[in-house]
Amino acid sequence: MKILVPVKRVASLDDEFELRDDGRDVDPDFCEFDLNEFDEYALEAAVQIKEAAPEGSVEVVVLTIGPDDADDVLRKALAKGADRAIRVDDAGLEEADRVAIARVIAKVAENEEPGLVLCGAQSADQGNAQTGMSVAALLGWTRAAVVSKLDFAPGAATAQVERELEGGLVECLDVETPAVLTIQLGINTPRYASLRSIKQANAKPIECLTPHDVGLSDAEIGAAGALSRVRRVFVPERGRGEIIAGTPSQQAARLLEIISEVNG
Amino acid sequence: MIPSGIDPSKVTRILFQDFSPWMLAIFYVYAIGCMAAFAWGVYAQIHKYRAGRRGDRLAWGDIGRRLLDTAKTIASHRTLRRRDTAAGRLHAFIFYGFALLFIGTATITLQEDILGPLIGLEFWHGHFYLLFKLTMTLAGTGFICGLLYMMWRRGWLKPPKLDYARPDRTPQDADFSRERYRIEDWAFLWTLLLIGITGFLLSGARMVWLQNDPAVWDTRWWAPVGASIAAGLKAVGFTSAGAGALRMGLWWLHGVLALTFIALIPYTKAKHIFTAAASWMLRNPEAIRHLPLGDLDAARIGYRELGDVASRYLVQADACTKCGRCHEACPARAAGYPLSPRDVVLTLREQANTHLGEVLPKPRAAGCATPLIGLATGEYRPETLWSCRQCGACTEICPVGVEHVPLINMLRRTLVDEGEMDPALQRTLGAVNKTGNCFNESRRKRPNWTKDLPFKIKDARKEPVDVLWFVGDYASFDPRNQKVSRAFARILHSAGIDFGILYEGETTAGNDVRRVGEEGLFQQLAEGNISTLGDCSFNRIVTTDPHSFNTLKNEYPDLGGTYDVSHASAFLKELMADGRITPARKLDFTVTYHDPCHLGRLNKGYDAPREVLAATGVKLVEMGKSRDNSFCCGGGGGRVWVPDPPGTTKVGEIRAREAAEIHGLDALVVNCPKCMTMLEDAVKTTGNERNFRVLELTELLAEALEPEEPAVLPAPAEVG
Repeated sequence: MKILVPVKRVASLDDEFELRDDGRDVDPDFCEFDLNEFDEYALEAAVQIKEAAPEGSVEVVVLTIGPDDADDVLRKALAKGADRAIRVDDAGLEEADRVAIARVIAKVAENEEPGLVLCGAQSADQGNAQTGMSVAALLGWTRAAVVSKLDFAPGAATAQVERELEGGLVECLDVETPAVLTIQLGINTPRYASLRSIKQANAKPIECLTPHDVGLSDAEIGAAGALSRVRRVFVPERGRGEIIAGTPSQQAARLLEIISEVNG
Repeated sequence: MIPSGIDPSKVTRILFQDFSPWMLAIFYVYAIGCMAAFAWGVYAQIHKYRAGRRGDRLAWGDIGRRLLDTAKTIASHRTLRRRDTAAGRLHAFIFYGFALLFIGTATITLQEDILGPLIGLEFWHGHFYLLFKLTMTLAGTGFICGLLYMMWRRGWLKPPKLDYARPDRTPQDADFSRERYRIEDWAFLWTLLLIGITGFLLSGARMVWLQNDPAVWDTRWWAPVGASIAAGLKAVGFTSAGAGALRMGLWWLHGVLALTFIALIPYTKAKHIFTAAASWMLRNPEAIRHLPLGDLDAARIGYRELGDVASRYLVQADACTKCGRCHEACPARAAGYPLSPRDVVLTLREQANTHLGEVLPKPRAAGCATPLIGLATGEYRPETLWSCRQCGACTEICPVGVEHVPLINMLRRTLVDEGEMDPALQRTLGAVNKTGNCFNESRRKRPNWTKDLPFKIKDARKEPVDVLWFVGDYASFDPRNQKVSRAFARILHSAGIDFGILYEGETTAGNDVRRVGEEGLFQQLAEGNISTLGDCSFNRIVTTDPHSFNTLKNEYPDLGGTYDVSHASAFLKELMADGRITPARKLDFTVTYHDPCHLGRLNKGYDAPREVLAATGVKLVEMGKSRDNSFCCGGGGGRVWVPDPPGTTKVGEIRAREAAEIHGLDALVVNCPKCMTMLEDAVKTTGNERNFRVLELTELLAEALEPEEPAVLPAPAEVG
């Protein structure tokens, strides 16, 4: 049985950054990139299922969509216990939104026929939390979002999952497989991938495919396959803080002034 | 010397007089049996040691120097006298007594069983014999005095370092008790003492027995202890015949004890006679400042199983005499962490003895596969390994050259490879990998601390400089340490030094990443920095961070980066000696100085910082633990990144309290950014914030350099 774990190379911003010239995203020069934290939990969940099963019976396949820079996160995933890595090149996917990305993942899932697709609940940079559910919708598989506990024996017809709801409620579900689950932080403790294991993962091949290779038509790729488009990214004006200086009595007087200003 | 009328050839020790042939036969069978047991024991130990990995073997070219150093160290008892002078001196009594008595006995064998029968050479009589008797008496007396002191020490003084309480186990654990070592300690002392006492009694009994032989009786005062005993025996009414029977009984008791002792040497703590010397000779004198270079492509990066451990460390584990110096010096142990370097060593010894065989060698393949780390009996628990600060206090003080620091590091490499670590540490290592610094800050923010300076520091990547200042993480990102960095920059600037930094191009040097056990990341960081430095033109490197200093100086050469590296304190001292900086005023402070492990113990940088301090005019009051015995701030070995569990004493708090004992202390002077962070915190948590400040040496000097009037800055110029 296979478990497919789609992972994303996410950006984290410096305190100071600049936007791209077209104003639709951050200039990547001001970003540090890393494997999406949520995906680390999804990957760990997959690797734990593999490790609990008889050796060789489960294959964990990681998938990412992006330029060859994204190989870094696949290597890290291989170092953490994934068996195989696929990267679908993002040439032609520049205008892809989460649905367009989900189309690629769904196609790969159709080809690989995994028993489970485990996604991170959301990406740390964009936070849409839609990719995983879109994959499930495109595949027509059962789905559960924001999973905080997962019990699954490879080959079983159902997986037992728990989801945390508002008010401290826990919902227990039996989910028929194949299924798409999005995994919440804290479900497990992701293992550390030592630099040595990442370097050793360099020896493992990464399958590089194009969207066409996985069976997508031009009408499904990039902007054509997307349901949304980013118009603009900007930093809204923020309220200003004020540090009150002076003696305690001066500070108290200024504080009273502000309170009366706010109260009108 | 020999009374007239006595044939000098008759002045000798009778050996087997009155022995029947069957007694002689029994003696020789027993003696040969004991030699065989000894030889077998030696074989079994060597078999055990050879099961270890034989990667870093001794360079043969070095052997002469090593042998000489070992001989000198043993002869002087230099390492045994450290921090325990009395025990060291009295051990010397035992050592020299034992050695002389052993050599003496060996000369008997030499004549009786080798030279005599073979070439008929007989030398063991006359004046030689008289001198021999005197020497043996002195040796025996020293030997017994030493043993009695050791018994008094163990029985009445009871120094805490000699108790076998294990901090890494609780009394509920099956392997908690190391009491059997206590039984062995006493058995060892009593056996040796009995051998010594029976030797003297035997001497006295022999004299009384042979009192009618002038060759014996008239020369008896050459063995004054024996002669006194003889007088006593006569006084209580022993006749020649009675003493003859006593002599026969004592002869067998003494002989059997001595032979049995020799037979047991390889199987008991007595083996340290050989293993301690071997351990000292095989040790790596650089052990604490230069960790072994890991092969990232090998099947294993660290020690996972018994067979992974270097043979050298197995010998060291057998060399340990449980003297407790490491136990006493360990800051983690002092703060109540589940670690004692002594127990780390003893655990390795016990695992090797159990699984590779101490008496009967066991199959190597199975023994070598014994796991080292885990929660089972006899295994190292991860929390024990993570308690270590890699401060080197244990290895530095070990009188027999045990290398605890690299041993613990090699075990940690396995933990890192398996991802078993504190989540906080995992986040830090992830951040270092991602951003090149442990603060998880963007690379481009690294030089932000320079923005407030009234001048621009040269970018060493863009123009040649004389001095390349490697700033390091804490000095770059931590706000308190940034102040120190700016003070150092101003000093260099006003001294007219041509210096530059690497700006965004610098990443953390990796010293602590390596000490955590993340060898792969260390090598990546080091290779990155070496490549960056390779594109720069400079004459020397200076850093205010002892951790960066250590790895740049001692560990980067393994990866192809060899530089002239100085710590800031040595550089400042140099500038003062050259007259490039001169304190403008004397500071009226009482201070104490905390030696950073990485500058002091690891690199012997004890004096330069004190000379700089002296130049500022402050009054220096040393803490009890200083220089080689300095007490870690708690931040070493990556522990600066791992929060101490709630409710535990912090290592730094012990240090802060020690400083607080100094009457009228104005400042605790540190000389390392990590010490600053740890101790400033500890001074606050111990409630000493209002009592004294934590200051960097550089800051103190900057204050002393500042005249009342602003100085005119001289133009930059080449130095050195």
